[in-house]
Formats: sequence, C-alpha cells, structure tokens
Amino acid sequence: MQNRPILLNSCARAATAAEARFRIDAPITPSRGARVVALDRRAESIVRRVAEQRWSSARFFVCESPGSSNGDMADVALLSTDGSASRLSTELIGADVAVMVATADDGAEAACAIGDACTLRGIMTAGVVISDGFGAEATVSALRPHARVLMVTRDEHDVAEVLSALRA
Amino acid sequence: MLRPELNELLTQTGPGMPMGELFRQYWIPALLAEELPEDDCAPVRVKILSERLIAFRDSQGRYGLIDEFCAHRGASLWFGRNEEGGLRCAYHGWKYDVTGQCVEVPSEPENSNFCANVKLTAYPLIKVGDILWTHMGDPASRPEPPEFEFVHVPSEQTYTSKRWQECNWLQALEGGIDSSHVTWLHSGALRSDPLFKGAKGNQYNIGDLKPFFEVAEADGGLFVGARRNAEDGKYYWRITPWIMPSFTMVPPRGDHPVHGHFWVPIDDENCWVYTFDYHPVRALTAAERQAMEDGFGVHSENIPGTYRPVRNKDNDYLMDREAQRQGKHFSGVEGIAIQDSSLQESMGPIVDRTKERLVPADSGIIKARQKLRKAALALRDHGVTPPGVDPAHHRVRSAAIVLPREDSFLESCRDAVTATPGVPQTTV
Repeated sequence: MQNRPILLNSCARAATAAEARFRIDAPITPSRGARVVALDRRAESIVRRVAEQRWSSARFFVCESPGSSNGDMADVALLSTDGSASRLSTELIGADVAVMVATADDGAEAACAIGDACTLRGIMTAGVVISDGFGAEATVSALRPHARVLMVTRDEHDVAEVLSALRA
Repeated sequence: MLRPELNELLTQTGPGMPMGELFRQYWIPALLAEELPEDDCAPVRVKILSERLIAFRDSQGRYGLIDEFCAHRGASLWFGRNEEGGLRCAYHGWKYDVTGQCVEVPSEPENSNFCANVKLTAYPLIKVGDILWTHMGDPASRPEPPEFEFVHVPSEQTYTSKRWQECNWLQALEGGIDSSHVTWLHSGALRSDPLFKGAKGNQYNIGDLKPFFEVAEADGGLFVGARRNAEDGKYYWRITPWIMPSFTMVPPRGDHPVHGHFWVPIDDENCWVYTFDYHPVRALTAAERQAMEDGFGVHSENIPGTYRPVRNKDNDYLMDREAQRQGKHFSGVEGIAIQDSSLQESMGPIVDRTKERLVPADSGIIKARQKLRKAALALRDHGVTPPGVDPAHHRVRSAAIVLPREDSFLESCRDAVTATPGVPQTTV
C-alpha cells in the first residue's frame, strides 16, 4: 500500500464544507433555449399552463401540422402559446433542446419531423409522455425513435420539473 | 438545478426534518449481521439519520438498538458490559435490556422501583438476510419486513458488504440512478473486473457511447432504461430499478451475480453504502465470493477491522495517473465503488445543486428528486405513506435484454423486472 502525504490540494482538504466556500460563484450562463412543443390537444393545454410560469429563455408551441416540405425535410407549422404562427426551422435557430410533450400517439408524424430536424442541427431531443397508464405504449413508441430521452409519467408537473432542472 | 431550500429539504435527514421523517417510514439497514456475530458480543456504535445509537445482541440472541448514552450521566454505553440479558453502563452499572428499558440501578435499594421509570429510546432491530434492519418511525405504522430478493435467497447465493462514504446520501444515490456515467467512469472495469468482464452486453456498452434513456414510473419508485444499439436493428436495454428511498440495482452482465446498493444516511455529510451481489438461482462460486471480499465488482477493499475503504479521500483514493493515461482506469482510481465515491465525495459534503447544469440525460435524477420531494411533503402535510414502504414494492429486479426496436422495455420486461423465486435473471 502506498503512503502519500496529505497535501494542501488533496481531496481530504479540498472536499470539506469549509473549502466549498471557495468555489467560484460566477453567474451561470442561462441555457441557449428550450423549445417545448405540444404534439396533441391534451398536451397543448398542459404546455399552455406550463408556459404561464416564469422561464429564462424557453419558448412554447403547439404543433399545428407536420407542414410543408422545406428542402428534404418536412417543416412543422407551429403556433406559439402567445398566438403567433411560426415554423420549426425558424424556432430551432439558437435552440439547444427540443422537448416534445405528448399524451397520445397522433403526434408521431410531427415527432418524426422534429426529431429529424434536431438531429440535422445537433440539437438534443427529449420527450415527456403524460399518461394515466392506458395507451402510453403507443405514444411512447411514436416518440422513441425521435427523442434521446423519454420520460413517461402520470404527473403533468414533470414538464415544468424537467424545464426547471434544465434552467430553461 | 435545485433551489437552495429544495436542496436542504432533500438532503437533511435528522429527526423532525421532512426527509428524515420519510426515511423513518421504512425498514433501513442499520448494520451488517456480522457486526454482532454472537450472543453477548461487543456492542457496536451506530449512527444513522443523525441519531447516535448502540446496537447489541443479548444473552438470548435478541438484538437491540438503543440510545447510545446512559440515562444517568450520559456516558456512552459503548464502554458497557454486554452480560446476562442486558447492556450495563461501565460508569455506575446501570443496565438496559434490548427494548431500552432500564432493568437495574445498583445505587438504589434492592426493592426500589426506580428503574421502571427509566427507559432509553429504542428501535427494533431484525435480521433479514445478512443485514440487521431497523425502523425508526412510529411503531403504529411499522410496515412488514423488507422483501428485497437479495436478502431472501439462500445464504450461499448472496453476499453483502458495507462501506463508509463521506458525503450526503443523495449525491451517492444519484450515482446509482445515473446510468450514463458507466460507459465513461467504469469503462476499464467492463474489460477487466472479474465480476463484470466477458458479458456480451459489455460490447454494446463500449460500442455505443451515446445511449438513449427512458424513465418510467414504478409503484415503488422508478425504472430507468438505457438503450444502446445492438445488431440486426435491435436495441440493447439496461433497466435500473430505484425503490424509494434509496435502493437501486445495477443491470446484470452475463451470468455474473446481480448487484445493487442501499444508501443509508449516517448524518447529513456521511452515509453508509450497503452493497450486495446475489444470484437468483445458483450459489456464488468460491472465486466470485473471494472477488467480492477482495473489493472487486461493486464492493470495496476496506481497512481491516473497519468499513472505511482503503482508497479514501485522505490518500486521494490512491489515484494512479499512469493507469489513467493508459486507460486501465478512466479516472485513475481503481475499483468501481471507489471510482464512484471519489467523484461523489469530491463534490463536497453536500453538493450545491444551485450550481448544476443538468441535461436531459439526467431525467432519472430529475424525476427521482421530484418523487422524493413530493413524498416527503405528502407525508408531512397529509400523512400519506410513501412509495416503497409496502414490501410488495421491493420485489423488483434489474434486467439487461436485447429487444426489437419497436418494443417497449417495460411492457416487454414486466416479468424480467419482477423478482420471482427460482427464475434466473434476464441478462445479456
């Protein structure tokens, strides 16, 4: 067994509560932006409620339709929760995560378009499936190929919970 | 990111704190059975949930867990004599039974009833498997004993060790929920550790460094699925159960024994890590048991006579920069358990979660914190029994499986993640 001196910079000293006071306390840069998209009607009401909370740079949308072709890829028509119309390709500029919210599997086409667009741009994808247990399987299957992270939950507050944790 | 008040809520487990009261709803490990090996053996100091206690085994083999300090002048009963059905304080001879009842005060007259009015706080201590468990909450709401599979298989099929970790319980637990670190921090072990190597699943781990994650609710906590690409367009899934408040299982590898952890707060800046390995259908081989005793797999090599790891923060975990350079150990620290503890302890005694930058891959941690917070507040405000108290919630397993792309890991693995006696683990 090696014997080593306890140096000033060793973990034994550095990992104390006293030393934690010296951790640099610089302001944390806000995230570049989360784009939260409701994929179906029930998800829309959830996303609208979440959008009423205070967020640093997150933007909230309802998916209107997979939309028209923009080059090789479908460009989803979005409706912001403040009522303005937009397109996915525009909203993904400056985004670093797209969070899809679904309660049913009828948003599969939009999820595919969002997933493809994010993959192309190197944007992280996440999905929150809110379900009381019935029908979740089809919804999860619809999102699985297009979301790198999926949360399946009974609690709609998880949408806000995830966004808060991400500093959205 | 957590607000300071939420970080405090989740990390403080002393008496009267919401998370402390939550822990007191469960049977939790208090010590290993090996620490009280025979009747009238030496008592053991036990500090859990910020309460200082003494554990002993009396002349009739009964286990006791009582206040460490004599009711008389406050001397530690650790110096006491464990004899003739009770623990006698070494200072003035006051004697207590396993219920904390004082049964003798030598300075009082022979026919005095004085001691009948002297009783130390005491908690039940029961042996289930290799662990002595306690319940520190209201006796009226005491649940049935734990039913985790690793403490119910025959003794030759299971092994449990214990180590002291010098940080708050939550940052240690979060390491058990976070599957994404395995490919990096433990990459060396996948190739070399005798309790890990050789499994086909390891190749999927090594071959796909960007797993996808799914987090799904379970009755007792969560299932966290990590999927990686396998051959023929299929997915390799590793499924980690978390049962509230602090039990997790690592998905199996090949026919190696299955392992997991139980994190128990000592106080707010230290915790015990109980680490188990078991095989559902066969005895552990001599080589496997020896490897576990030597600190391989998820166990640790401890300083003899203690439960403090040999590699600890006082010696910088015997960090080996050359091994790090060569890729033998990704962090330069040897041993899976210490690879975890070194980084978790480096965060500080209680990590400041206001400074975190979480990412979507941390969804399991995000959801676990939310469930803990909700359960603690529901208990405090409405007396709601939290998930994981019901022993039925304990009957889970981890699993590793290759599935067609369209299959849901939970729907396809209902049986695989249910502990069924006599049925082998689902593994790759």
